[in-house]
Amino acid sequence: MPDTASSLLDAAHVAFITGAVGINLAACRPGGFPALSRAVGCRVSADRGQVSVLVGAAAAADVIDAVRRSGAVAVVFSEPPTHRTLQLKGSNALVLPPEPGDVALAHAYRDAFSAVLASLGYAGAVVRAFLSCPDDDLLTVRFSPAAAFSQTPGPHAGEPLAGPS
Amino acid sequence: MKIRLESIRACLEGVIPGTIATRAADGTPNIAYLSQIEYVDGEHVALSYQFFNTTRRNILASPYARVAAVDPHTGAHYRLSLQYLRTEESGPLFERMKVRLAAIASHTGMAGVFRLLGADIYRVLDIEQVPGDTMPPPPQPCNLLAALRACTESLCGAPDLDGLLARLFDGLQAHFGIEHAMMLMLDEAAGRLYTVATRGYADSGVGSEIALGDGVIGVAARERTPIRIGHFTAEYSYGRAIRDNMARNGVDGIDTEIPLPGLADSRSQLAVPVMACRQLVGMLYLESTQDLRFGYDEEDALVALAGQLGVGIRLLQQMQEPAEEAPPAAAPVVPAGKPLSVRHYAENDSVFLDGDYLIKGVAGAILWALVRDHAEHGRCEFSNRELRLDRRIRLPDLSDNLEARLILLARRLVERDAPLRIEKTGRGRFRLCVRRPLELVDVPV
Repeated sequence: MPDTASSLLDAAHVAFITGAVGINLAACRPGGFPALSRAVGCRVSADRGQVSVLVGAAAAADVIDAVRRSGAVAVVFSEPPTHRTLQLKGSNALVLPPEPGDVALAHAYRDAFSAVLASLGYAGAVVRAFLSCPDDDLLTVRFSPAAAFSQTPGPHAGEPLAGPS
Repeated sequence: MKIRLESIRACLEGVIPGTIATRAADGTPNIAYLSQIEYVDGEHVALSYQFFNTTRRNILASPYARVAAVDPHTGAHYRLSLQYLRTEESGPLFERMKVRLAAIASHTGMAGVFRLLGADIYRVLDIEQVPGDTMPPPPQPCNLLAALRACTESLCGAPDLDGLLARLFDGLQAHFGIEHAMMLMLDEAAGRLYTVATRGYADSGVGSEIALGDGVIGVAARERTPIRIGHFTAEYSYGRAIRDNMARNGVDGIDTEIPLPGLADSRSQLAVPVMACRQLVGMLYLESTQDLRFGYDEEDALVALAGQLGVGIRLLQQMQEPAEEAPPAAAPVVPAGKPLSVRHYAENDSVFLDGDYLIKGVAGAILWALVRDHAEHGRCEFSNRELRLDRRIRLPDLSDNLEARLILLARRLVERDAPLRIEKTGRGRFRLCVRRPLELVDVPV
């Protein structure tokens, strides 16, 4: 598939952010505190121009409110075994209902990420508890990444990611 | 019900890393992982400032932040609304966080990457629990308040410092399940700590010394702050402390060095200053081969216990010299056999028995005074009171814990299986038991 001018992400980035990584997002409503929440899955549009993260409406109520008001979002993806971390930012975020397949995606994400954490010694039941999200509570936050940063701890943390050439 | 910060401290241990959301001046949000959240008090936390990154830039522009933290035992998820107040670049909190960050870095493969530039202090404005599933908390291995009560009650009945420390270690073992512990006393004049009693090590290490500022114990003592580590930390391991010690003391350090005790595979460490009336008396140090063995609650309980211990030590110190009659002298035992060479180096008051290093410093000076009095006047019975006034011994100051020096000396003689012993004969009195003739050699400076 040809790269589109709007996408910062290459296929490897897509594989990373849709894999078994921790996902957290933040948004700010004007005048309010920054809001943040954990997400329970991620999918990327075929042209890699749009990223959607799955959240629980109750757990992410503040973030959802802030996204609706400002459209600005920051999402951080981190792989626990390697600490590899990527942050995406967008300014056109929308809160949307889940699409067909999103419930299954959230389940698959929870299974995969739990397995990674279990391999690091975390108790499975605890991990599943904090990643839990009722199926009928799912919403998605969709945005076009306008900036991407490596946040892997170390000297290059915070540097903008070079987009695909 | 308002959620209190001290009731969610397990979330701050970093077992499941927290995240922080901040806002740039133009309103752009940012989110980052936190390597460290330190509980400061019921209304404040400190976050580590390691790099001048976006989070840093943002909080300087807009001081309001939100932090998410997860309880590793239950999966309960909390959000803290924070206001940045200031950054500390030195002092007890900074030093405590620096040691703890080194432990986190070592555990997560980030040694050499994480470096503490400052402790950012935030006021906690609000805490909310995020809706979600939680697991019931696991049963506690021990009731810390009951353990603390039992231990403090036991300390109260101790007749002397030796008994106090024995009761302390018994209590730690029986009520807290702590198997490895040591007590070090402060030698304020020398700026060092000396080990007076230990429990749970193959070699007792009694008499070993550590400089203020060396290792977890030395830093905690210098800063008068408890330090708790939950993982193996190469930077603050005993091997490292020993090497530092040797390097500082040069050649002399090798000859007269008693190795510090300590677990080679220590994974959890807790160093607690023992204070009396705001003065440092010594350090209580506890360790375990388990990761995350000591939590915030254990730290609280052991700091409270150390407070009782400090007061107990100070009280015993003030009570130890009653004007009581000397006990009847024991029938003198005429020492027989090959003479024991007792060599004293005035330079550092080190004493060698038949060429083997025994002790140095104040305890060495005490022993030298005792054996001289024995050789010159045939004396065996002594009192703490006279030692305190003895100008040959040069006690650092009146508040010095002479009793601790005597315990140390008595233990070293037993451990070296020396034909010389010190036996307590009453409060503030003791006897020098000599089983072989002595041959004294003084090496002046």
